[in-house]
Amino acid sequence: MKISLFRIILPFLSGFNLIYCQTCDLQIEGRIIDLHDGSPIIGALIKIEGTNFFSQTNFEGNYQIKGLCPGNYQISIEHPQCRTLKKKLNLQKDQVNNYDLEHHINELEEIILSDKKIAQLRKSVQETSLDISEINSYGSNTLVEALNYIPGASVLKTGNGIAKPIIHGMLGSRVGIVTDNFRQHDQEWGSDHAPNIDFNSFESIQLIKGAAALRYGGDIPGGLIILSSNRKKLKDSLYGGSSFILESNGRGGKITSNIEKTYSNGFFITGNLTTKRFGDFHAPNYVLSNTGLKEADFSLKLGNDKLVRGWKLNYSRYSIETAILKGAHIGNVEDLFYSINSNTPRIVEDFTYAIYAPKQTGRHHRLSFSYFKLFENQNKLEWGYNFQANKRKEFDVRRGGRTEIPAIDLLLKTHNFVGSVSGINYKNWNFELGINGLFQDNFSDPNTGIKRLIPDYLKYEVGFYALGNFQKNNSFVWEYGFRVDQIIVDAKKYYDLSNWNERNYSSLFSEFERQNVGTQILTNPKLQYLNFSAQTGISLGIGEAFTINASYILSQRAPNASELFSDGLHHSIAAIEYGNLSLQKELSHKMLASFIKQGDEFTFSIDPFISKIIDYIFIEPTKLEQTIRGAFPVWEYKATDAFFSGIDFNSSIDIAEQLTFDLGLSYTYAQDLSNDKPIILIPPFNSFQSLKFTPKNQKWNFEIVHHINGKQNRFPNSNFPVSLIQNGELINTEVDISSPPSGFQKVDAYASIKIKSNENFKSKIRIIVQNLTNTEYRDYLNRMRFYSADLGRNIQLQLNLTY
Amino acid sequence: MKNLLMFKMIILGIIMSYSCSKDDPDAINQQEYISNVVLEIQAADGSNQTIDWDISEQNSQSINLNANVDYNVDISFLNNSDPTDIENVTLEIIEEADEHQVFYEFAEVSVNVISASDDTKDGNRGILIKSIWNASSSGSGIVRVYLIHQPSNLNATTREGIGGFNDVAIDIPITITD
Repeated sequence: MKISLFRIILPFLSGFNLIYCQTCDLQIEGRIIDLHDGSPIIGALIKIEGTNFFSQTNFEGNYQIKGLCPGNYQISIEHPQCRTLKKKLNLQKDQVNNYDLEHHINELEEIILSDKKIAQLRKSVQETSLDISEINSYGSNTLVEALNYIPGASVLKTGNGIAKPIIHGMLGSRVGIVTDNFRQHDQEWGSDHAPNIDFNSFESIQLIKGAAALRYGGDIPGGLIILSSNRKKLKDSLYGGSSFILESNGRGGKITSNIEKTYSNGFFITGNLTTKRFGDFHAPNYVLSNTGLKEADFSLKLGNDKLVRGWKLNYSRYSIETAILKGAHIGNVEDLFYSINSNTPRIVEDFTYAIYAPKQTGRHHRLSFSYFKLFENQNKLEWGYNFQANKRKEFDVRRGGRTEIPAIDLLLKTHNFVGSVSGINYKNWNFELGINGLFQDNFSDPNTGIKRLIPDYLKYEVGFYALGNFQKNNSFVWEYGFRVDQIIVDAKKYYDLSNWNERNYSSLFSEFERQNVGTQILTNPKLQYLNFSAQTGISLGIGEAFTINASYILSQRAPNASELFSDGLHHSIAAIEYGNLSLQKELSHKMLASFIKQGDEFTFSIDPFISKIIDYIFIEPTKLEQTIRGAFPVWEYKATDAFFSGIDFNSSIDIAEQLTFDLGLSYTYAQDLSNDKPIILIPPFNSFQSLKFTPKNQKWNFEIVHHINGKQNRFPNSNFPVSLIQNGELINTEVDISSPPSGFQKVDAYASIKIKSNENFKSKIRIIVQNLTNTEYRDYLNRMRFYSADLGRNIQLQLNLTY
Repeated sequence: MKNLLMFKMIILGIIMSYSCSKDDPDAINQQEYISNVVLEIQAADGSNQTIDWDISEQNSQSINLNANVDYNVDISFLNNSDPTDIENVTLEIIEEADEHQVFYEFAEVSVNVISASDDTKDGNRGILIKSIWNASSSGSGIVRVYLIHQPSNLNATTREGIGGFNDVAIDIPITITD
C-alpha cells in the first residue's frame, strides 16, 4: 500500500507547510526505525539518487541531508539486513521524514509514516480525529459524548445513557458511522436510538464534517464518524490495557480491558471486553428515578497483515439495557402539560440499581471479513463482507402483566459487500474505484400486541464510486469523486383502512394495496431511488503557516423507514407519528471551507459551511387526533427546502511553557425556507475554554474546562392546545414543547498522575469532576428536559494500566 | 484475481438466496387497547341511562341527571378491535386494582362522587369501578372520565395531584336538572 499522505494539518499540531524556495539550502532529516519494535536502525544509508548527497543514521537512527535544491528526488534507504526502500520525494522546504524499515518480510514495499494523534488525512475536508484513550480520559461514557469536544459536533440526548451525534445541525440518517471499514446499520432513525457501538474496541475515532467519504455512501450530508483500529506492529509481542472507572453520579462504573498478541509473521489477535453498570443518576437536587444502565460488550479481531496482503476477521457483540426516566412516561397531553410545568420530575424515588420499564434494550452483532492485496504497480485490491444483526426492544409500562412484553421489537439484519481498487496512479493523478452491495431485512415482531411503529421491509442497495486526487506538490491538492446508488425498498405494512383512505393513499398508491384484513389493509409499498452524489475540493498551502481548504459536496438521501412508514404513538412526547409515502429523496448542496494557521505558540482554524437541502425531510405537528387518552397532536413527516449555515472556531495558545489555553466556538443557523421558520433541535451557540497546566518533569498535569451553552432563540412553534379541568372549570391552554431552556455554564476539571512508568508497565490515575459547581441546567438537545434537569456533579476516578 | 471471482460468486449467491419477497406479516390484534367506555347510570327509582363512548364514533351523548339524587354509576372498558371477540378490559383493571384508579373530574357542574359499597377495593381505597354520584345543583358542563395507571398520590383530589398516567381520558357532556 502506498500511503501518499503528508503531514497532518490541524490546529493542535505542527504540520506540513511548504513554501516555494529558489535557493539550494533545503534539508531533510528524520529517523529510521525498526518496524518490529521501534528500535533505531543504526548505519542505514540514505541516498538521494542521481546526486552525491547521502547520510548514514547514527546511534539514535537519525539522519540529515543538507544543501538540497527544491525539486523531485528519488530517495533510497539501504541497510545490509533490510530490503532497500525507494521513495519519491517532492522537496519544496525542509522536511522531516521518518521511515520504518522491516527486517524479515521480504515482500515489504511499504513505508509506514508514523501516525499522529490528531490527523487530517483527507485534505480538502475538515476532519478531526481523536485517540480512543483520549476519549476515555475526558471521562466520556459513550462514543457520542466524546464528540462534544470537537467544535461543530453536538449531541442529542435522551437522558444519560442515550446519545446521538449531531454534525452541522444534522443527525440520525444524515450522519454516518463506520466501524472497521463498514457502515453501521442499526435503527439509527429514532432520536432516542443511540448507536450500538462500544468505542473501546477501537483505537481511533475520526469525525468528517462533510460527506467526504463517498467510499461509505453518498447519503450523509451531515458528516461521518469513522472508528478504526490501528495497524498492527509486525513483531512478537503481547500487550494490553485496562481501565477501571468509578463514578459518583449513578454510583457505578466501567471496566474495559483489551489484550493484543502480534507475531512477526503478521498474524495478530486482539480481544476486548467492556462492562458498565450504573444505578439511578441524579440531578443537583433529586434522583433521576429509573435512569440506570447495564452494558456488556465483547469483541475479537484476528487477522494477518503482511503489508502487501492480509485478511481480517472481526466479531463483536454489544448489549445494553437502559432505563428511561420514570417521570418521562406519560399517558397523554395533560400529563405532558403537568410535567413541563413542574420543576421536578413527576416521580422521584430512592436510588436504586434496578431497571424498570420504561426501558430499552439493544443487542448488536457484527461479523466482518476483509481481504486486501497490494500489487507490484501499487494497486491495492480490497474486498470484504459484513453481517450485522441488530435487535432492539422498547418496553413501556403496560397493563395486565404485559410490561415484560416489549412494545417495540425489531430485528434488523444487514449483509454488506464492498470491493475496491485503489492506488491507481498516473503521473500526479491518483484514483480509487469501488462497489458496494447491501441487503437488509427488517422484522417487526407482532407479539408486542401493539401496532408496528416500523413495518417489515427488505432493502437492496447497489452502489458504485470513483474517487481521485491530483497532487502537483505538497501545497496543492485537488480531490474529486462521485458515486451512484440504486436503492429499492420493499415493505409489507398494515395501515388502518380509515387512515389509508383519509390520507388519499387509496388513489395515490392503489398499486400497493394487497388485501383488507378487518379494519386494516395490508399493503406492499415498493419504492425505488436512484441517488447521485459527488464531491470536489482543493487544499492550498499559503506561505509557512496558512492552509486553505475548500470543498463542495452534493449528496442525495432516500427517506428512511421511519420517514416513510412510521405509524404509532410516541409515549415520551405524547405524539402520534405518521410517515409519508410521498416523500422524495433529499438533495443537499454543501460548501465547506477551513482556514488553518499553524504556529509554534498559536494555532487556529476557522471552519465555515453553508448548505442547502432541497426536499429536506422533517416532522411537525399537523392536527389533533382523538384517542381514548384524549386528543393527541399528530406529527407528520413532510418535505421542505432548508438552509443550514454555521461556523466553528478552534484555537490553541501556549501562554507559557507549561500553560496552554484552548478555545472552541461553534454556531449553527438553520432555516426552513418554504415555511420561513427555524428548524427544530439545532444546537445553540456553544463554546469551551480550557486551561491546561503541564509542569515540566513532573508526573502530573491539570486541566480545567469551562463550557458555555447559549439559549437557542431560533425554534419553530410546535405547541399544541390542551384543555384542563381546574377548580371545576374547563381551561384551554397550550402545551409548550417548543421553548428552549435558558443557556447555562458548566465547569469540568481533570487531573492526572502517573504512578509508575517503565517499559513494560504504565499506570496512571485520573480524577475528573464534571459539573464541578453542581449547576442545575437543562439542555435544549436533551429530550428529557421536559421532565427533569440535567446531571449534577459527578466525580470520576480512573485507573489506567497499560502492560 | 481468483479472490475477486470468489467474492462475486458469494455476492451473487447471497443475493439470489434472498431475492424473493418477504412473507406477509401477521396482522396485529392490539392488546390492552380500549375502544369503548361504557357508563351505566341507575337511579334509585329504577330509571337508567347507558352512555357508550366509542373511539370510532366519538359520540357525545349527554348524561342527564337530577340534582340531589343518588345515582349508581358502573363503568366498564371494552376492547372491540376484534368484533367477534369483544374483550372486557374492566376485568383486567379489577385484577390490578392496586395499580389503577378511576377518576371523574367535572367542569361547570358540581357532582359528588363516592365509592359504592360493591366497588372494587384496594385496601380501603375504592377504585370507583362502581360509584355513587350526587349532583348539588342544576347546570350543564362536562365530566372527564379518567382511568389512571400507577397513581402516585391517592389522597389528592385533583388529576394533577394524583399523578400516574392516563390510560383513558375522555370528555362526556353532562346536564343536571333540578
